Amino acid sequence: MEMKCIVVTPERTILDKPATFVSLPLFDGEIGIAWNHSPLIGRLGTGELCIKNEQQSESYFISQGFVEVYQNVITLLTGHAIPASEITQDSADAARHAAEIKPKNSLVEVELRNAALLKAQAMQRIVKKGKK
Amino acid sequence: MAKTKILNKRRNSIRSIRKITRTMELISTASYRRAMERAVSSGAYTKRLTKMVRHLAATGAEISHPLLIPHPTEEKVALLVLTSNRGLCGGYNSSLVRAAQARWHELSDKDSSIKVPQVELQVSGKRGISFFTFRKILMAATYTQFEDKPTWAEVEEIAEQFLERYLTGDLDRLEIVYMKFESLSKQTVAHEILLPLSEIGSGDSDEPEKHSTETMYDFIPSAESILSEVVPASFKMKLFNCFLDSAVSEQIARMVAMKAATENADSMIKTLTMAVNRARQGQITGELTELIGGVEALK
Repeated sequence: MEMKCIVVTPERTILDKPATFVSLPLFDGEIGIAWNHSPLIGRLGTGELCIKNEQQSESYFISQGFVEVYQNVITLLTGHAIPASEITQDSADAARHAAEIKPKNSLVEVELRNAALLKAQAMQRIVKKGKK
Repeated sequence: MAKTKILNKRRNSIRSIRKITRTMELISTASYRRAMERAVSSGAYTKRLTKMVRHLAATGAEISHPLLIPHPTEEKVALLVLTSNRGLCGGYNSSLVRAAQARWHELSDKDSSIKVPQVELQVSGKRGISFFTFRKILMAATYTQFEDKPTWAEVEEIAEQFLERYLTGDLDRLEIVYMKFESLSKQTVAHEILLPLSEIGSGDSDEPEKHSTETMYDFIPSAESILSEVVPASFKMKLFNCFLDSAVSEQIARMVAMKAATENADSMIKTLTMAVNRARQGQITGELTELIGGVEALK
């Protein structure tokens, strides 16, 4: 019962693999997709994309984009997809710091700052999980 | 004697120039392949985005987004020109800046019919920058970071700026002048209006529709909300494609220019070799006559 998981960024197709279970972040929380999931189009959030198949499980950091599930093919369109192993404590902390020092004078700026903060927090979570 | 020496010197210098142009031809061939690969692999994203838009549109969702609506008065127009950082690519840059300059005059000249109060010029690539600096035309922003591999992150940054300015009303129209890649033998200077977006998810996906549009999709959160996210993504992708196209076109232009230069050098070397040989022959003949003359005189 294998599904297909495809991750596409504007630059290239990052991943095209069989999967038995995929969990991914939607804009309002995580969703798990298993065999025979109903057709779905959703907006992605920021967080960890986890692809499991019989042999292994892989994890990517993704932020913003769209997902389409149709006939056991999961297609993710995202601007950023980085293998979780490439995110280090330092880079996550640096992102957090950069987000914290962003200005928050206007509503737009606060929104941008919050988005950056959320991204940094998601990165930190992935690093923490990787350590366990 | 002197003539042979000069001719030889010229021939040698042309030989070394030929080496350079030949090497540049090979390099640009390699970077053309790389650039082309990038352009092709980015096509997957566009295609899937288009497909998704079709599915969304099939649900009857209204596409309305501030980016799709032209502002009532168009006062601030930005003209973005994509040129290359390096020269030696034939008419690539000159045709681009010529088109850009013409457009700029159209927009900013007093007696022009489509004059707008505020035009700002943004130029990417050192060639274009130096052209407009020389013409004393003020540029609002310049970019030199785009080489033959424009990255998504770099383009996205610029795209975000335009989006923000358009949404806050600081910009009413964004026009772009770049070299559109049509085929290996044809690239044309293109002038397009990127903002307001004319349509989203344009781009031909030849794939036949595999499943009927009656498929019931779950939309999270809703078709409208997803569409409103697709619009900016579609704009960014368009801009990114422009950058990719111009990178490919630049390499092709350089390849062609360098190939012609190498061929010219070849034919020049040929003529010069002939001239050198003739001069040498003449010199030998001269020397022989002198020698014979000397011997005759001694008798």
